[in-house]
Amino acid sequence: MSCSSVDLKAYLLGELPPAERVSVHNHLHACPACSDEMERLDSMRTALASLADEEPPQRIAFVSDKVFEPRWWQTIWRSGPAMGFASAALLAAAIFVHAYARHAAPAVNTAEIEQRIEQQVNARIGAAVTQAVAAAEQRQDQRIAQAVTTAEQRFDAQYRSELANAHQMADYYRDQNARFMVASNNAARSSQ
Amino acid sequence: MIFREVEDRDLIAKARRGSVDAYNVLVSRWERRVFNYLLRLVANREDALDLSQDVFLKAYQNLRKLDDPAKFPAWLFRIAHNEAYSLLRKNRPDGELAVEPRSGEASARMYPMELTLAVQGALGRLSEDQREAVLLKIYQGFKFEEMAEILDCPISTVKSRLYTALDLLKQTLAPINTGGTE
Repeated sequence: MSCSSVDLKAYLLGELPPAERVSVHNHLHACPACSDEMERLDSMRTALASLADEEPPQRIAFVSDKVFEPRWWQTIWRSGPAMGFASAALLAAAIFVHAYARHAAPAVNTAEIEQRIEQQVNARIGAAVTQAVAAAEQRQDQRIAQAVTTAEQRFDAQYRSELANAHQMADYYRDQNARFMVASNNAARSSQ
Repeated sequence: MIFREVEDRDLIAKARRGSVDAYNVLVSRWERRVFNYLLRLVANREDALDLSQDVFLKAYQNLRKLDDPAKFPAWLFRIAHNEAYSLLRKNRPDGELAVEPRSGEASARMYPMELTLAVQGALGRLSEDQREAVLLKIYQGFKFEEMAEILDCPISTVKSRLYTALDLLKQTLAPINTGGTE
């Protein structure tokens, strides 16, 4: 193996196939120039590895929102095994129905069926929208109630704090007044 | 690593069925790696955190498009790469360096803080493409094939960028003796 055919960087990075890796390993023992170069590359990698990872300043997390959660049929649709089972069940049902219901099919009024389907679809969409709006309103109400509670608590805390300050000030002035009275009495006594 | 791959696959399957909790576990496993990759690319903690959040949100929204769950790491870092370059292009249309090169070559014996500064400086002197190749290979441990997928370029380009970067880094960092803490 000649020096020009040796890919030291791929060797360093663990990208060589096992056989080639052994060849390079043997070459490094026999070639001082490549061995020196390998040592420099290894020093560089050691220096790079000294740069420690940082912890993210804040954890990343997502919250579930009922409005955007998949419906039961979406969950089944996305589940491979369940979908396979459902398909097999449908196929079996279709064979069963086909075998036992060979009588002439009655005339079908497609316009009436379409109208009924449209009404049902409209009703479901309306219900879903109503439900979503109600959920959004409920969340908004909860947020407002929470904000009001927080404000009340803050106001109460502030009121208590100011009251405590007032008491403290009153105690201070009472104390000062007593000291003043004692001092003035002492002064009166000494002047007598 | 095998256990982790299996568990990641399981979490991905659950998240695809709408389990936000499963996705949060998956995020907690990868957020540190993604954050540090982005931090070293954009050199700003707030931007790196914002980008990390965007990356995981986009990943959640597009999880069903992931063909092979075993390729989740490369797929996730592909999203991170796109988000980072989108920001870098927006911030610096003229293509100037993201990280200001710090002065100071590596000396024979350095203390940890000096060494960290020297490494940051050496990485800062690389072009963005070269630096990203080093980040993906040295710090994230991706294979050349995965890097080519993440960077959307041929393996030959990946190797060229990485090898050039390693030659430049070697000139700056090779003299370092990391035993300077004695």
